[in-house]
Amino acid sequence: MEKKSPLKIENLVKKYGAFTAVDSVSFEMKPGEIFGLLGPNGAGKTSIISCIVTLQEQTSGRIEVFGHDCQKETKLAKAAIGFVPQELINHGYFSVEEILHFHSGYYGRSNNTERIHYLLDKLALFEHKDKKVKALSGGMKRRLLIAKALVHEPELLLLDEPTAGVDIELRTSLWDFVEELRKDGLSILLTTHYLEEAEELCDRVGILQRGQLKKIGPTAELIKELTQREIMIKVSRELESIQHAHLIEQEGQHLKFRVPSDKGVGDLINDLGLDLNLVMDLSIKEGSLEDAFLSILGGDVQ
Amino acid sequence: MKKTSDLTWTPFFSLYKRELNRFLKVIFQTVFTPLITASLYLLIFGVSLGKSITLSSGLSYLSFLIPGLVMMSVLNNSFQNSSSSVVSGKFSGDLEDLRVVPLSVSQILWAMSIGGLTRGFMVGSITFFVGQVFHYVVIGELLSVEQPLVLLFFLIIGGLSFAQLGIAVAFWAKTFDQMSAVGAFVLTPLIYLGGVFFSIESLHPFWKSLSYFNPMLYFINGVRYGLLGQSDVEPWMAAGISLLALCGFYFLARFVLKKGHYSRW
Ligand SMILES: Nc1ncnc2c1ncn2[C@@H]1O[C@H](COP(=O)(O)OP(=O)(O)O)[C@@H](O)[C@H]1O
Ligand SMILES: [Mg+2]
Repeated sequence: MEKKSPLKIENLVKKYGAFTAVDSVSFEMKPGEIFGLLGPNGAGKTSIISCIVTLQEQTSGRIEVFGHDCQKETKLAKAAIGFVPQELINHGYFSVEEILHFHSGYYGRSNNTERIHYLLDKLALFEHKDKKVKALSGGMKRRLLIAKALVHEPELLLLDEPTAGVDIELRTSLWDFVEELRKDGLSILLTTHYLEEAEELCDRVGILQRGQLKKIGPTAELIKELTQREIMIKVSRELESIQHAHLIEQEGQHLKFRVPSDKGVGDLINDLGLDLNLVMDLSIKEGSLEDAFLSILGGDVQ
Repeated sequence: MKKTSDLTWTPFFSLYKRELNRFLKVIFQTVFTPLITASLYLLIFGVSLGKSITLSSGLSYLSFLIPGLVMMSVLNNSFQNSSSSVVSGKFSGDLEDLRVVPLSVSQILWAMSIGGLTRGFMVGSITFFVGQVFHYVVIGELLSVEQPLVLLFFLIIGGLSFAQLGIAVAFWAKTFDQMSAVGAFVLTPLIYLGGVFFSIESLHPFWKSLSYFNPMLYFINGVRYGLLGQSDVEPWMAAGISLLALCGFYFLARFVLKKGHYSRW
């Protein structure tokens, strides 16, 4: 039997009053992949995740988690999900370990100490297990949220901006942890506006703009298809005005071109009919997901 | 191999345990403060003022007061427990957890209301115990419970009702102030006017007939009947209306848990 898709979203619409935050979004995750939902602030990433975990009621459309409709088979869908919200959460009364025990219980696991200690250890929280959440730093709170999301060994992990406001050291260790989870067969949906994060971790990404899914595909292919390389050439003397489709700047001895990522430097110089002896200096900057992102979103990045 | 999970009882008991532990952690505030309040009421109203009050039924005022205070403790504390659980969950953001985990609306509703009832019961028992001490000292004998099952029935209905009302009000409230305003301006007056401290027989006919619209009247008089074997309201009528009130609060809480927002303030 073919494995069910961890997450299948069909024509999801979410309106807040008259405002459409998610505009007919459809995509399907593959088992065991890390899927990145990318987009600037306000694009609708959190709204999509909120609909999956039923924190928000979808206006229309259909969401299935491993074949379970999130609205009709709520319990089964929720039992398969681990959810790390974007905003940090406090807990008034209980210690880190108590919270994890209660949380395990909500997922039907009564004797879960082993798993809890494993996660506390993994997320460097063991020594803080008796502290109240108030006494934790932001980074520790973030890790507690991740531990909470994993107590029941979910099959689909939803990470909403997992590294927002997290220092670089913690960020890399979280990335390693995410990779490790994926190796164990977990399917992961993460939202981010750090493109570096998506580039590093995601097998596929979907790019969201004003509630619409603009582009979806394997991260590497998307970069190739959409990025451009920048070629800077310094010539030994000032040239007269050059006309070229890819020229973006000409200032004195400096020329700057933006070309598709499959176009070579040789081609460009041939195009220009430039005497090689004139070229003093040449540098190339490869495109990144950031550029892909920009080329899709235009000037709409806040 | 993954462990199999029971999604029926384990989640329910976990939430119930959390509701219980939440007030046991701050036991001084949640249990002992009401204890002192009840003692003060008994001392001031029951003992000092009570001497100059004679009831038509021939009961001592202290005996009359004890069931009223017991039910007041149960109602207040059941309400407090569920409402402060929801409100603090909104404040810290962990109310969202309840929506995200595989707990159904019914599981949340019953875990919270039985949690509230438990606290109500504990404080009610303490109030009863203190009442008995006063009764013994002042009157020279303990108050005997006339109808234990009737008493239990009304305590349970009252506790569950108010715990469920607590859920509904806490979901509705947008601030702490709104929350405490409901307590101060709606519930406390209704409980007082429901006959904790006096018999509605002693009221002006206008106020008396108005009192019949106050559901607390039936809760309180039901408990009074259970303890003393006599009350202002027919026990069957009290039972019927109390059950009706419970249904009302139940559906209100259910609606709010289904449609309400679990997001933080
Ligand atoms: N509860 C809400 N009520 C009204 N508007 C909202 C609410 N939540 C989000 N929005 C709006 O919906 C849009 C998408 O928000 P969000 O899903 O949080 O985006 P992202 O997570 O991509 O930053 C934003 O314009 C935001 O202001
Ligand atoms: Mg967001």
